[in-house]
Order: sequence, then C-alpha cells, then structure tokens
Amino acid sequence: MIDPATLRVLASALRGVADEMGAGLIRAAHSANIKERRDCSTGVFDCDGRMIAQAEHIPVHLGAMPDAVAAVRELQPQPGDLFVVNDPFTGGTHLPDITLVSVVDDLGLLVSRAHHADVGGMSPGSLPALSRELYQEGLVIPPMRLTDEVLRLMVANMRRPAERLADLRAQTACHLIGAERLRELAERHGRVRLLRGMAELHAYAERRMRAAIARLPDGVYEARDVVEGGGTDDGDVVIRATVSVRGDRIEVDFAGTADQVAGNLNCPLSVTRSAVYYVVRTLCAPDLEASGGAFVPVSVTAPEGCLVNARFPAAVVAGNTETSSRIVDVVMAAFGRAVDVPAMGQGTMNNLVVGNERFTYYETLAGGQGACADADGPSAVHVAMSNTLNTPIEVLEREYPLRVERYALRRGSGGAGRHRGGDGVVRAVCALEDCRLSIVTERRRHPPRGAAGGEDGAPGENRLNGRRIAAKLSLELHAGDVIELRTPGGGGHGPPPA
Amino acid sequence: MRAMVGVDVGGTFTDVAVVHDGRLTTAKLPTTVDDQSRGVMAAIELALERAGLVPRDVGHLGHGTTVATNALLERRGAPTGFVTTRGFGDLLELARQTRPELYRPCVGRPRPLPVVTAEVDERMTPSGVLRPLDRESVRRAARRLRRAGVRSVAVCLLHSYADPVHERETARILRRQLPGVFVVASCELAGEYREYERASTVSIDAYLGPLVSGYLRSLKAAAVRRGLPPPELMQSSGGLAAVEEAAAHPARLLLSGPAGGVAAVVGMAGRDAIAFDMGGTSCDVSLIRAGSAGRSTERAVGGLPVRLPMLDIHTVGAGGGSVAWIDDGGALRVGPRSAGAEPGPACYGRGGEQATVTDANLVLGRLDAGVALAGSVRLDVAAARAALRPLAAGFRSLRATAEGIVAVANQEMVRAIRVVSVERGHDPRELELVAFGGAGPLHACQVAEALGMRRVLVPAAGGVLSALGIAVGERRRDAVRGVMRRLDELRAPELRGLVPWPERERGAVREASCDLRYAGQGFELELPLEPVRTLAARFHDRHAERYGYADRGASIELVNLRAAQVVAGAPLELARGPRTPAVSGPATVHLDGSTLWLADGWTARRRGDGAWSVTR
Repeated sequence: MIDPATLRVLASALRGVADEMGAGLIRAAHSANIKERRDCSTGVFDCDGRMIAQAEHIPVHLGAMPDAVAAVRELQPQPGDLFVVNDPFTGGTHLPDITLVSVVDDLGLLVSRAHHADVGGMSPGSLPALSRELYQEGLVIPPMRLTDEVLRLMVANMRRPAERLADLRAQTACHLIGAERLRELAERHGRVRLLRGMAELHAYAERRMRAAIARLPDGVYEARDVVEGGGTDDGDVVIRATVSVRGDRIEVDFAGTADQVAGNLNCPLSVTRSAVYYVVRTLCAPDLEASGGAFVPVSVTAPEGCLVNARFPAAVVAGNTETSSRIVDVVMAAFGRAVDVPAMGQGTMNNLVVGNERFTYYETLAGGQGACADADGPSAVHVAMSNTLNTPIEVLEREYPLRVERYALRRGSGGAGRHRGGDGVVRAVCALEDCRLSIVTERRRHPPRGAAGGEDGAPGENRLNGRRIAAKLSLELHAGDVIELRTPGGGGHGPPPA
Repeated sequence: MRAMVGVDVGGTFTDVAVVHDGRLTTAKLPTTVDDQSRGVMAAIELALERAGLVPRDVGHLGHGTTVATNALLERRGAPTGFVTTRGFGDLLELARQTRPELYRPCVGRPRPLPVVTAEVDERMTPSGVLRPLDRESVRRAARRLRRAGVRSVAVCLLHSYADPVHERETARILRRQLPGVFVVASCELAGEYREYERASTVSIDAYLGPLVSGYLRSLKAAAVRRGLPPPELMQSSGGLAAVEEAAAHPARLLLSGPAGGVAAVVGMAGRDAIAFDMGGTSCDVSLIRAGSAGRSTERAVGGLPVRLPMLDIHTVGAGGGSVAWIDDGGALRVGPRSAGAEPGPACYGRGGEQATVTDANLVLGRLDAGVALAGSVRLDVAAARAALRPLAAGFRSLRATAEGIVAVANQEMVRAIRVVSVERGHDPRELELVAFGGAGPLHACQVAEALGMRRVLVPAAGGVLSALGIAVGERRRDAVRGVMRRLDELRAPELRGLVPWPERERGAVREASCDLRYAGQGFELELPLEPVRTLAARFHDRHAERYGYADRGASIELVNLRAAQVVAGAPLELARGPRTPAVSGPATVHLDGSTLWLADGWTARRRGDGAWSVTR
C-alpha cells in the first residue's frame, strides 16, 4: 500500500520528469514555434500504455497523446526503442504535430509531441487553407522506429531540413533526459514501489474525477451547433452531441453530426476526444493534474466518417484549430442543460497565412472569452483548445514584408450581461509586396452565444481594404493591400443590468 | 576601517547587520508598514548602539526594500500616463494574448496597470522613419494627461529600440509641458525589442516612480540628518546602486528584498551553490555558478514582464507555516495555504488548529519544545500532535504522518531546486546547498539527499543573512542597447562605440556581452563580447554546443549589447571563533534564530567564521 505522502511525492516527481523533458525540449529547440510559442507537450506512461503524468501547454494535446501510445504499442516496442508518428488516423492530430514515444527499460514509456514549423505538403508551414486530402498537408508518418534512415527520409520531405533536423534532435534528446530521470526514481524508490505508485496515481486521478462527475445531475443532455462551411461551400455543417451522465460516468456521443467534408475541417477522433476532455476537466476538476486516470470514466463515440471521426485520407489541418473549438462549444452547451456553464468564447483561432515564394507567415489571433456566473470573460485571449502567444509587431515587421497598421481591443464586442463577455481584437496588416493570403476563420455568421440570459458576443469580421470578405478564402494580395481581422467577442452571462 | 551597515526590510521584520572590525552585530525590529523609513532608522540606531558605534563610524549604508514590490502588487502606484504610437494604445491590455490558466476560462491575466493612454502621430519602422513625429500631437497628449491628473508618464513607441529619436523627442516635449511629472522613455531603461515587454517594463517604472523616489528622498534626508552616509539600494540584479540612480528607475528594485540573501551567499559559499532560503510561508531558491548568481532578463513580477536584469530566484509556496491537508483523492498535500504569523502553527498555542510543517517537525523531535521559537512562547507538542491526528488515517503512526508532511514539503523544494538547476542545464550533485531562513537548516539534509548533493553550508547569522549581504554587497550598474544589426556589417570601432557603458567608476570591473542569433531566429544566445572578427566563430561553436548544430553559412544578427560595471564590496572577514567538535546525525543543533537538523549519515562542523559545514 502506498501512503498518502508517498503518493503525492511520486505524483510531483513524475510530473517533474515530464516538466524536465519539456524544459529540455524548449531549451534545445530551434524554431520559434516550439521555443517561443511553446506548442509542445511531454508525458510519462506506464508499461500498460496508461498516461500517468503530463506537462502540457496546449489542451489539444491532452487527449491525443494516449492514442499515439496505443498505436505504438501495437508494434510491440522493446526497451530502448524510439518511435515516431504523426498520422492523424493512427494516433496523431494533424501532421505538423510529430510525436515521439520511447520505452525505458521495464519502467514505462515517455512521450513528446511538438508542433514542427514545416512537415512538407502543398504550402510552406504545412497549414494549407484549402487542402482537400491529407497528402496535401505534408508527410504522413505512420508509427515506426525512428532510425537515422527514417530521420533522413523525413527531413528530405520538409522545408528547411537543417532546422527540422535540429528540432527533431532536440525532441529526441528530451527522451534521454526523461529516461535518466525515470531510472533515478526507480533507484531511489525501488522499481516495484515506483510501478505501484504509478498505478496508484492513475487510480487516484480516476477517483478524483469520478467524485467530481458524481456531483453532476444524472441525465441525458443534447446540443447542436454548426461550423460555417465545409471548404467547398459555406453551408452550415452540423455537430450534434448527446451527453449522458450516469452516476460517476460520462458518455458523449456525436450521432447526428454531419458527414465529413471536402475541406480540411475534419477531425480524427483523437482531436474530438481532446475537446471533450477539455470540457470535462474545465467543468469538473480544473486543478486535477493531467493523468489518463481522469478520463477513464469518460467515453467518446462518433459515427465513422462523420466530421468529428473522419476517415482516412480526409484533410484535417483546420479540424485541430476550428472544429475542435466548436466541439467544445457543443459539449459545453449540452452540459449547460444540467449545470451552470460559461458563455461561449470566440470559438475560432482566426488562422491567417500570408506568403509568397520568399516568405510564409502564419498567425492565430485571440478573441473574447465567454463570461462565467461569477466573473467577466477575459478579453484578447485564446480560448478553449489553444494558448499560443502572439507575434510581437516589432518581430513581425522585421522578419516579413508586412506592416501592422492597428492592433487594438475590439471594444464593445463582448456580449452584455450581469457579467460581460470578453472583447475580441482588431488587427490590420498591410502587405508590402505581392503575396498570397489564406484565412480560415469561424464565428463570422453565428455569434458566440450568451448564457443564462446574457447577450451574444459580436461575430467576427474579415475585411480587405475596408470591404467585407468571406470567412474562409485564399486570394492574391497586392502591395499596399490591408487585411483586417476583427475577432469575435465572448458571450455575456446573466441578464444585463437594466 | 569604517563600519558597513545593511538594512533589510521584510514583511514582518526589519533586520540590520553591522560589520565592524570583523565583528557582526545584528538587530531586528518590527517593520513599520505605513512608512518603512521609521523602522529602518530605529533598527539602525539599535544595532549601532549594540555595536558601540555612532553614525559617523559608518562608511557604507546598504538598504533592501519591499516598497517598490508591494506598491506594484497592491497597485498603489501613482496615476500614470502611457504614451505610444497611434493605433497601439491597447498594447498593455493585449499583452501576449495567452491566458494564465488553461482550464479556468474566467481567470484573466493579471490586471494591467491602470494607465491613462495617449497616442501620438508618428511611425518608425525597422528601416527608418515612415511618418515623422507630429510634435503638436505630443502637446495634445500632454494636455490630455494633465487634465487626467497623472503624476508620471511612460513613453514607449514602436521600434524605439532601433531608432529612439521619436521617443526621445516625445519625452523631451512631455517633460517641458508637464513640469514636476516623472517621465521615463523605454529607451532610457530597457531598449530591447518586443514592444509589449518593453512597454510593460517602462510603465511599471513610471507607475512606481513618484512613490518610490519620494520614499528614497525622505530616507536619504533622515540618514543624512543623523550623520549617516546616503543609502545605497539593493537592486534586483543583486548589486547596489546609489540612491539617486535607484530613485530614477524604481523598476530595478523589484527583487530588492530577496536579492540580499543571494548576495550574501555569493560572498561566502563556494563557487557553485544553491541558495536555499526557507521561511514561514515560502521558499526562495537560486543557482550560483562560478561564483556569481544566475541572472535573467525574462522575468515577470506579479505576472507583468520586467525586461531588466534580475537574479533568477524561484519561489514556491512551501514554508514552516504551510498547512497540510488531504485532498479528495486521498493524497497528502502541503500548502499553498499558510497559517502565517497569526494564528501560526498549532504548536504556537495561539489558536491555530491545522497541522503545519513546523508542527510535523516538532512531533518528530527535530524542533526542541524547550527552545523558544520566533522569540516567543514555548512550543506545545500536545497541540501539534492533536493537529496531525486528523491526517493520520492512511499512515502507520502519527510519527509516519509527520514524516509524510515533511517529505511532501521537501518534494516541493526539491522541484524548485531542480527548476533552477536541472532545467537550466546544471547538475545539482556538484553543488553545495546553502541553507538559511527560519526553516532552511531544518530541511537542508533531506532536501540535499533527494538531489544527490553531499555538502550543506549553514551560514552564521542565517536569520539576518539578507541584511549581511546588503552590508557587504557589490555596487553594480547594468545597461542594455537594442542594436539589431547584421554582425558582418559591423566594424570593430563601431561595435565598441555602441556598447552602452555606464560612466566609469574608480575600481570598477567592466564587462560587456551581446545577444546573438541566426537571422530570422526568434531567440538569442548571450555571449561575452569579443572582437568582431572572432565573434561569429564563437557564436557558431556555442550554437553547436547548445543546440547540436551550427549553420556556418547563415548570417548572424546582433540583437542587444549589454554592459555591466561592478565595484566589489568590502571583503567579509569575520573574526575567527573557536571550532567545536563534530556533531553526527541524527541530531539537532541549536543556532541563533533557527535549528539545524542533522539526518542520519550527516556530520556537522562549526567553522571558524561561525558557519556550519555539513557533509555526508
């Protein structure tokens, strides 16, 4: 039996293994996406493939890591092996997220996932706005051993191979750091005690989550919402969720969701699961450390071939950013029939890509958070599944032929209410040379809704030289053109004061 | 030789250390919260009296203060204006667009400072002026700020790190238009690129300006009236600055309090050490390598970024007063809630009923009930045992419960030390653990063991170590200049001319460094400055060392030039006392103001200077 103090000491020490892997990766990585935006996560799994501890900076990695481990375990990994995978349909999320899995003796598995700046495909940055199939989004890597040959093949298919190689080496090195730490722990506490502690930590997280779920009222709750266009047209695409709370278990089913679409808003089930876990964790146990045990009582199902459980080789790159945001809204709204939930946040990451043969620039923009029962929604934040930093204007203008004309809060865009929704932002960028623009945005037609009588937030707007343009498009910019994104405000909570 | 005096003002106590002829005299008085200077003067007078000295015997008066930090955290600064480029007035509110808590949607970023914003018409770009400065728009801004009643103004214009001409002119006009108002421009303080961080730094400086400079003026007047020398202030960088310099840029004082302890450790420990300061509510740790404390310019205070050199001190909420509890999954937790000074741990007998780390140490016999703690009551073992009992369910015994509480608290500190060592690329096993603060020496052996460390040092005067560090600290000036030029475009004389050297002082050691990166990279490596013809090769090598590869064909950018000027403090040579026989663990050793607990396998020897050297 593990006593309550040893349990806590091991929890902290195992989380420390993940933290030190993450710190090593961030310190040694080369590209800004890992180094500055910290778009990466690390985790420790037990020998049965169960997640014990995770250091995550981005919620979308939360639920997807166990799928990567499961896919690798099918291949009977041996101690000392290092595997790589990014295939969204076998354990990945979208192609730029490359996951490594290593086996440490008979102690456990270590996992790292990082968003790489390029994995090949039809456009620099590997975030094409208008992809129609997975192959256009970059190199697909099914789970396999990461040998020198595989590494060479990978970087040969990616832009700026020297930088890719450096980032992948940094990612590989962080597994050595983690392995050393895990062995130290086994030496210090004894292997048997460490393994028993890992099992107990998994059970501990499960106990805490079950206790929290048990406090929710039993029942079946439904909600639906839409994404605005599937890529080839801008008709609404329905997402429907049925949430069943029974005792200390939650089932979320997406029957009734539209079929997968021709564009790239499709989600593999791993992304859908991450979005559901995000909602459950937010509502039930925001302080609970990330552990697979927490999600044992939560099951997620969706008809195969639908938008949120797409079939290979669907294009998926924007499912990760846009559809995942909507899944959060839908599942949150379903829970809202039983308990108080926050009003909707901006529900999009406002993806903007500009570039020509000389440069590529990608950014995602913040917006308003929905208000809660006891607080206003924060303004100018990434909501739900993302939390990456903005690019400083002084960096942007140095590195790219772009000039920021205005960067401001979009005042008044948050919905009124007893507590106000957060405001979105306005960002106007002038192209200084001819280039191509792609935008993938949501919540341009249907506003983020208020809760408990609060008003809706303002929907977003995209403008080119002052004229409104579509939510998703790709077009040529001429030098001097100004593209302006006005991001959605969050919904208000409670009736506005008279 | 004349006496050196250090005064450290903490939340509860004002400590003074007087060093004279190798003798150390100390005094401790309650902090006067409404006006720290009263307590400071009273404590100095008490300490001098004890040392048999008069004010004119004092050659140096150092001071560490929490005035700036508290004013920032409690948002008690002056009404402040923020002047920036038109179109960007919301810079401080937009921050970096992240949220602090992933799973709590309505927890916002720390409140931005409450500034009145005014935009001016101008636009600088990396390659020069796009729109010239409209001076009339600056005068309009001045009128707006005057009407709003501001007492200070921060100026931060886009790309001023590259060309500060608009920013300087704006500040000049504002100073003329707003006499008596504290005006500071970002290029005068922290001319680095990245507009949000620069704006945050300069607005904090302005926000604190009137209050802190007022405090320092009255403190200086009080000191001089009594015949003391004007005080020098401990800065966040761990070095002292003249009172006028400190008053000009109070943002440099944000870590003034904890910096003193680290400065003291630098003076007395080996070359490689961890400073471990555990008090009642929190624990500060920092790394010392090659005889100097780690510094960072990427820190935040109260969640707001400050781009100034600061000691890399990591703080966790685990101290003697941290409360132990069982969470709803059945794990034992310690902190972050603290019993504080009132009611304090259960064993203080002042009405505290929850078990704290101090209670656990008492139950284990590591604290002696017969020895008064914190200058007050005898400790009540029965009350400590009663407080632990509700937590004992999952343990074999009450003793095991107490061991568990200490183990969980130790783990928090082990994590903190790993953050400043392992996560910065340094192996703690090669380091010495320097333990001080009320609870540091109690936990040092076990913490060291968990990290594989073999040596612990417990300094004499551990209870007033910060004051001692302030008394004997070095004087330090730092400056930075944003350069942002390609290295191969710079010639040696030009590069030398760009180094932002402070005015030379007698006896000063000067060093320059530069931040370099491959063009297009988002981060920099800091290297000591050397002739430009060898600098590129050195950068490639360092890059290969740190990141596993070098791109020798790529062009290199020089992002910032940094200069530091250091005048060493007087050496601390305390009179040597008798050595005592070695003590072997398990045992407790009573020190002045704290207790050293020796775990099994550890041996302690008192050095001639009064410090305890503990090894296993």
